[in-house]
Amino acid sequence: MASTQLSDGEKTFIIHGVLDNLRNDGRTCENYRQIEVECGVVSNTSGSSRLRLSNTEVLVGIKAEMGQPKPQSPKTGFLEFFVDFSANASPEFEGRGGNDLSEDMSTRFAEVFQTNNILDFESLCIIPGQCCWVLYIDIVLLECGGNLLDAMSLAVKAALANTRIPKVTVLRDSEGGEDIEVSDDPDGYHTLEISKVPLFVTLSKIGQKHVVDATLEEEACCSASLVVSVNSSGDFTGMVKKGSSSLSNDSIHDMLVTAKKVGIQLHKGLDTLLSEVGQSTAGRGFLVG
Amino acid sequence: MPVDKKRITGPEVTQSPLYFLEDSSGISQLVNKDGTRKDGRGENDIRPIFMKAGVVSQAQGSAYIEIANTKVICAVYGPRQVLRREDFSMTGILKCEFKFATFSCPFRRKFQPDVEEKEFALIIEQALSPAVCLHKFPKSQVDINIRVLENDGSALAASIICSSVALTDAAVEMYDIVTACTLRITPEHMLMDPSYTEETNSINCESNGVVTMGFLPSINQTSSLLQRGHLSCDKVLKALQICTEGCQRIYPLIHECIRRSVKSKYRPAEQDKEKSEEDQNPSKG
Repeated sequence: MASTQLSDGEKTFIIHGVLDNLRNDGRTCENYRQIEVECGVVSNTSGSSRLRLSNTEVLVGIKAEMGQPKPQSPKTGFLEFFVDFSANASPEFEGRGGNDLSEDMSTRFAEVFQTNNILDFESLCIIPGQCCWVLYIDIVLLECGGNLLDAMSLAVKAALANTRIPKVTVLRDSEGGEDIEVSDDPDGYHTLEISKVPLFVTLSKIGQKHVVDATLEEEACCSASLVVSVNSSGDFTGMVKKGSSSLSNDSIHDMLVTAKKVGIQLHKGLDTLLSEVGQSTAGRGFLVG
Repeated sequence: MPVDKKRITGPEVTQSPLYFLEDSSGISQLVNKDGTRKDGRGENDIRPIFMKAGVVSQAQGSAYIEIANTKVICAVYGPRQVLRREDFSMTGILKCEFKFATFSCPFRRKFQPDVEEKEFALIIEQALSPAVCLHKFPKSQVDINIRVLENDGSALAASIICSSVALTDAAVEMYDIVTACTLRITPEHMLMDPSYTEETNSINCESNGVVTMGFLPSINQTSSLLQRGHLSCDKVLKALQICTEGCQRIYPLIHECIRRSVKSKYRPAEQDKEKSEEDQNPSKG
């Protein structure tokens, strides 16, 4: 992670601020920074979005391609995640520098999107056992200002809402052979149902309290955090503890309750924004908490 | 991904016959009508655990654990000087390598560590680091090698327990021992210490999930937490409580294992007497 150098005095200042429920940028512990979303920004993709969370910036492009379904689930399509840490965001990510982090984050996404009610994976199947849609979800980090996972998951949901998958028809000839025909009608596409797509909420334990949407400076003061993926009804679809120190059960309890509350707000904010934007490409913003 | 031509001599793509079983993905009942599980246990029962420290003579510390059919071996090397200059740090670091043996699961694993193995390695590192006095060995690292020999569920929990016993055996100073417990949650039941079928069967359906927790019993802190599947907030909170209780039940078994290994190390005369005692530590259900 791109880290900032902080002196002990600065850390104490941040920790005391959090204890008084007032953070350096004037937020309370359960506030997000201003979020700005733009959909359909890259013309060569099936769906794309750009998201700005104060000074974290993420670009997501989704490409739909046809491939062979996995042997364990022949009747469904699947997703492939890839997180690219651009050296623009931090010189640390140059070369293979961001590899470990990127692998870790794409695993998180892949794991959370495994649950079979998150998307209608069966609608991504073209010919059972032979051909299905594979959605390549590529996330590029353009600027690194803390709380990357939350920002990425918001951008992924926005990009999925924007994704258009061409309609295909399967033609069968007299000998039983199958042929796929892709519709060339510009309106011949279907969109994905995204109401069950989860968002990540990262809760960072700072001193005695926990905060959501930590900045880089706050992340430097935090030794343990919980990454919870929450869906729009407040259920959890995955959770993992990060960081090198331990947490007491009471603080985990409080963090999970916060995650549920903040997660629902975050979904509401993004959903209203996406329904306003529709398929247009103008950028819009919203605030949570 | 480049393929290791030296070791992998089979065809590039093969498929396990298990994929072609009739109804292999079907949702089946994990609990019998009389409330017992498929292997006859009650909901809250842990399978019998066998542990032994000091099984690899070359390693500073090592341990072996069996939880019924789940078998894990772990060796600890170090503390030794950090190998890469980038890793330099004034506190010690733990380096964990986690690997499922290629034949350990129903489906064959690859030689190269896959994403799940890398994730588990990171989780184990983070589960152990709060327990180890890292400030005692600056500029050095401790290597923890974990190999799952047979996976019959709860492999991550078994690995966490095994590696913490191995660290103790290596005489690495620690604040506490890390215990771990896995809980499988279905819409109606909470099954402690699930077997492989219980852990994987219909796990991707709504209201199903698995929670694994690493716990430091004497300071009452949770050092690792992993939840998979779709669960409500209340269910997760309930699961954490049950997991904590499960971890506390495993704690005395680890204690006993360490006591025994220390005794045999420093008072070899008593070793023969010890040997005649029963080795098995069946958990009380």
